[in-house]
Amino acid sequence: MSEQNIIEIKGVEKRFGSFVAVSDLNLTLKEGEFFSLLGPSGCGKTTALRIIAGFQDHEEGEVRIDGRTMGEVPANKRPTNMVFQSYAIFPHLNVGDNVGFGLRKTKLSRKEIKERVAEALEMVELGGLQDRKANELSGGQRQRVALARALVMRPKVLLLDEPLSALDKNLREAMQLEMRRLQQKLGITFVMVTHDQYEAMTMSDRIGVMFAGQLKQVDRPEVLYSQPCNREVAAFIGGMNFLNADVTAENADTLDVNVQGFGSMTIGVNPNVQVHDKDLLVGVRPEQLEISAEKPDGYDANVQGKVSDVAFYGESVHYYVRVDGLPESIAVAVPNYFHTVDHNRGDTVWLGVQSASVIDLGKRESLGGEK
Amino acid sequence: MTKAFRIPWLLVYAIAYLVFLYLPVLLLPLFSFNDGTIVAFPLKGFTLKWYAQLGQQDTLLQAMVNSLIVGSVTALLATSLGLFAARAYVRYRFTGRELSEGLVMLPLVIPGIIVASSMLVLFISLGLKPSLTTVILGHVFVALPFAVSIMKSAFDDFDQSLEEAAFDLGESVVGTFRRVTLPIVAPGIIASLLVTFTVSFDEFVLAFFLSGNSPTLPVYIWSQIRFPAKLPNTLALGSLLLLSSVLLLLIAEYYRRRSTQSSD
Repeated sequence: MSEQNIIEIKGVEKRFGSFVAVSDLNLTLKEGEFFSLLGPSGCGKTTALRIIAGFQDHEEGEVRIDGRTMGEVPANKRPTNMVFQSYAIFPHLNVGDNVGFGLRKTKLSRKEIKERVAEALEMVELGGLQDRKANELSGGQRQRVALARALVMRPKVLLLDEPLSALDKNLREAMQLEMRRLQQKLGITFVMVTHDQYEAMTMSDRIGVMFAGQLKQVDRPEVLYSQPCNREVAAFIGGMNFLNADVTAENADTLDVNVQGFGSMTIGVNPNVQVHDKDLLVGVRPEQLEISAEKPDGYDANVQGKVSDVAFYGESVHYYVRVDGLPESIAVAVPNYFHTVDHNRGDTVWLGVQSASVIDLGKRESLGGEK
Repeated sequence: MTKAFRIPWLLVYAIAYLVFLYLPVLLLPLFSFNDGTIVAFPLKGFTLKWYAQLGQQDTLLQAMVNSLIVGSVTALLATSLGLFAARAYVRYRFTGRELSEGLVMLPLVIPGIIVASSMLVLFISLGLKPSLTTVILGHVFVALPFAVSIMKSAFDDFDQSLEEAAFDLGESVVGTFRRVTLPIVAPGIIASLLVTFTVSFDEFVLAFFLSGNSPTLPVYIWSQIRFPAKLPNTLALGSLLLLSSVLLLLIAEYYRRRSTQSSD
């Protein structure tokens, strides 16, 4: 990853009638970065991607790619290529002609095109399949052809619209790693749109989280997970127990808080949070909580509760614990070390938490309610 | 036990229906091989002379050529118009889309005689003499609904991102249409050409009103019915037309199916 900016988006807005699909989008991407736009369906992430690609015009703002203002530059003249959600493999052409489609418009000779196509197919591990018909390809192969067809153009930026959503789980996970490897090898900037938080986290250098047309937070996956900027982002990425807290004292980098159910502790100020208030919302990730039959030692806060549900996930066990005075049960995830489920429904258990695991989520909007 | 005695009413009905529908049509080829001018049973014997004589009848051949010209031009015009109209109907949401679609489909339900007589009045008042041109204009009008519906089904299954992908890969708008859109809807285009050609080739009422001194084949056949001696020739010709119509429709259906399969 270099320090060169490859994409600069400033104040871009897109409306469909009175509906604001993308609102005041500001984003700067570095060359060679793997960036994901993450959000629920209808949040405007695909529209944002199509604005970069040149398929969608926008009312306000500016898009610069590789130092050039895009403005009215149509999609076929932009230094970007796209992998479509449906893959858009040309059904009347074989694999070789699909991959070589865009090269036919360049000054390359037939021989050079052939070589570039062969090279691109090798890269996506489809070497030698040039003559395979489009309708004879499996889902995973179609995805690879779409990837090769875009990469063979050697774009400055590769745009990917939900590239893995059509694949089944195992194939999807294998492709995640493979695409990440490919991106690192080629050093091309990838911009991927996805609604799958795990996909975004495993593949990306940075993630932008979008809700209702607004880019809420842009950060590295670890930061997004440990310091989400608000409740929405915290809930969208991984599981989260939300708790109400009252601020008793504000220090330089810390807050003294009284967390509902858990009592008083001192937690770090989350730098991504915009507004703090006496009425605070805090969060604890399920895997950061300790659960045991006896009161555990060495935790900053403990609370007793009753197991209301147990869910076995294979790699982990999730316990849902009802605590008196809390509106919702607390989720606790325990790694499956010993192939045992230690607590059953109805058991009385102790929960333990370190104050470092309690995440400041800023001003509480409404008591335990939505957003 | 009881099952064996049951009369399969549905089957009986289906057979009766088919006999009623196709028996008259089957009589046509049967009598075209009959060695006698009177179309009645019992059959006299097998002959091919009615077919052999067809080649020597100049007016008949001229009518055939007229029909081929009208049919081909109609098919080309209706299919081109249908191609663009269907793409717009499927792809874009614009004011008056439904109204315009309804208007295009209207000829399917307006009685041919009304269309024919009003077109005749219109063309004459515009100073257009009845000719093959006026027949073509009329036939495009009645063939268009067929072209539009066939092309619409071709575009319905067409993934729009295919065109975007081509454009994204650097192809121009025209190049995208030529290299991606056309080849993918080609089976639909062929089906539409065949069907509209057949519609025009078989059409009688409009042609009767609008053809003037250059009759199309159906108009010519109608005029020959009055001469009993010529009837067997007409039957032979009719049989040939029937055969080619069936062949054309089979080919059209083949391409229509291919067009829906290929875009899956």
